[in-house]
Amino acid sequence: MNLYLNQIAAIVWKDFVTELKTRELLSAMFIFALLVILIFIFSINLSIVKASEVGPGILWVAFLFAGTIGLNRSFMLEKENGCLMGLMLVPADRTAIYFGKLISNLIFLSIMELFILPLFMIFFNIDLLSHLGPLLVVVFLGTLGFCALGTLLSSLSSNLKTREIMLPILLYPLLIPIIIGAVRMTGQILDGTELFDMMKWIGLTASFDIIYIGVSIMTIDHILEE
Amino acid sequence: MNQETTEESNEESYILVWLTGIVFLVAMAAIFLFVPTEQTEGPVQRIMYIHIPSAWLSFFAFFIVFICSILFLWKKEREWDIYAHASAEIGVIFCSLVLITGPIWAKPIWGTWWVWDARLTSTLILWLIYVAYLMLRAQTEAGSMRARYAAVLGIVGFLNIPFIHFSVLWWRTFHPQPKVISSEGFGKGMETSMLVTLGISLCAFTLLYFLLMGQRIRQEKLKDEIDRLKREQLYSS
Amino acid sequence: MDNFGFLFAANAFVWGGIIYYVYTLKQRSRELERDLELLKETLNRESR
Repeated sequence: MNLYLNQIAAIVWKDFVTELKTRELLSAMFIFALLVILIFIFSINLSIVKASEVGPGILWVAFLFAGTIGLNRSFMLEKENGCLMGLMLVPADRTAIYFGKLISNLIFLSIMELFILPLFMIFFNIDLLSHLGPLLVVVFLGTLGFCALGTLLSSLSSNLKTREIMLPILLYPLLIPIIIGAVRMTGQILDGTELFDMMKWIGLTASFDIIYIGVSIMTIDHILEE
Repeated sequence: MNQETTEESNEESYILVWLTGIVFLVAMAAIFLFVPTEQTEGPVQRIMYIHIPSAWLSFFAFFIVFICSILFLWKKEREWDIYAHASAEIGVIFCSLVLITGPIWAKPIWGTWWVWDARLTSTLILWLIYVAYLMLRAQTEAGSMRARYAAVLGIVGFLNIPFIHFSVLWWRTFHPQPKVISSEGFGKGMETSMLVTLGISLCAFTLLYFLLMGQRIRQEKLKDEIDRLKREQLYSS
Repeated sequence: MDNFGFLFAANAFVWGGIIYYVYTLKQRSRELERDLELLKETLNRESR
């Protein structure tokens, strides 16, 4: 068990060191998310629409698009340099590769989101600080679901010729439940609803997270097989 | 494949073709001649007798994709991969027909082509998932990789259905439900003649599914045979 | 009440769709069968 955790930690650490050296991914994700938010602000009239009504949707679309960049990179980097082969030759369980990638994706996305949230607050003039606790819980649940399924599918699409195109096409329809849930919950939190009053949404997203992590553990062996 | 089995399966498929044809004729007669016109909706209500069976057929086909995907990952036999592929293709075609006939019915009855109602939305999402499945299949070369990836997607996609159902249902709870026959109360308000017609039509479409499946499976097997012979030719020369 | 047009359109789509699909299936099958026959013939000739 200890060895298993060490293997996961090693993969996460490797991704971190690469990112610290190159500094490509985080900045790209952040700027891209910012651009998505800006484009949405230009495409809607904020003097007509209430910011707290459209805000959550725009925020999650930004997270989704920027997150896709991160997912696309996470396995492509390995693929380009033949590192995936190396990873698979390591006498580690395939699920360790999955969990390592899941955690590093989750951390990168979370860092990006932590930078985007204050900007969102400023641009939309919404007070996030008063509901920060519940908001972070919801953002975490949504991001975990996104990463759980996204890591599985990016490991799959990285072997395709048209990987950048296929990943969103495969991923987005499957993510719709979590997008609806996350947007709804974020909206309700901004309206001042307590977490307890939206137990059904939390249950839905949490079970989505759990089921897809479970499915990934069961099927990752069949994807990372050469 | 030896001569005897092909002849046998040919005979079987002929029986299936005739049976499907006859049941379809009966279903058509029931839909257009036997069943009385609905009082409030008028003749357009007869679309339901092809719309609901198409929906049933596509959901059934997707369920078969799910089962065959699991069996493929478990047994790793090409057979299951073929079944999953064939079923997904048929499912997508009938799902498209559902998405086309739905709005045609909705326009005169609801007054709009499309309403973001739970059932419509989830059918659309389902269609997108399985179109992506077929695209994945089309983009990768035949072989073990394609089969494995498709099987994973077949499983992941089907497990998504409950999530889609609930999220889309709750998504619209704040809005008034359209005042039409919601499918929950469908059977209740129907006369026996309507239920019988629907039943015959369901039978006809289910038979059609098996007929198309048989054709599609035979085709994939022919393709495999051709590939095998080509390889043989390559090695022998 | 006179929404026959919609009924007709829906039926046209469904039957058109099904018939077109069956037609393409048949077409593909025929092509495959022909390919298979050709291959078998050439293989036979070569082996002789």
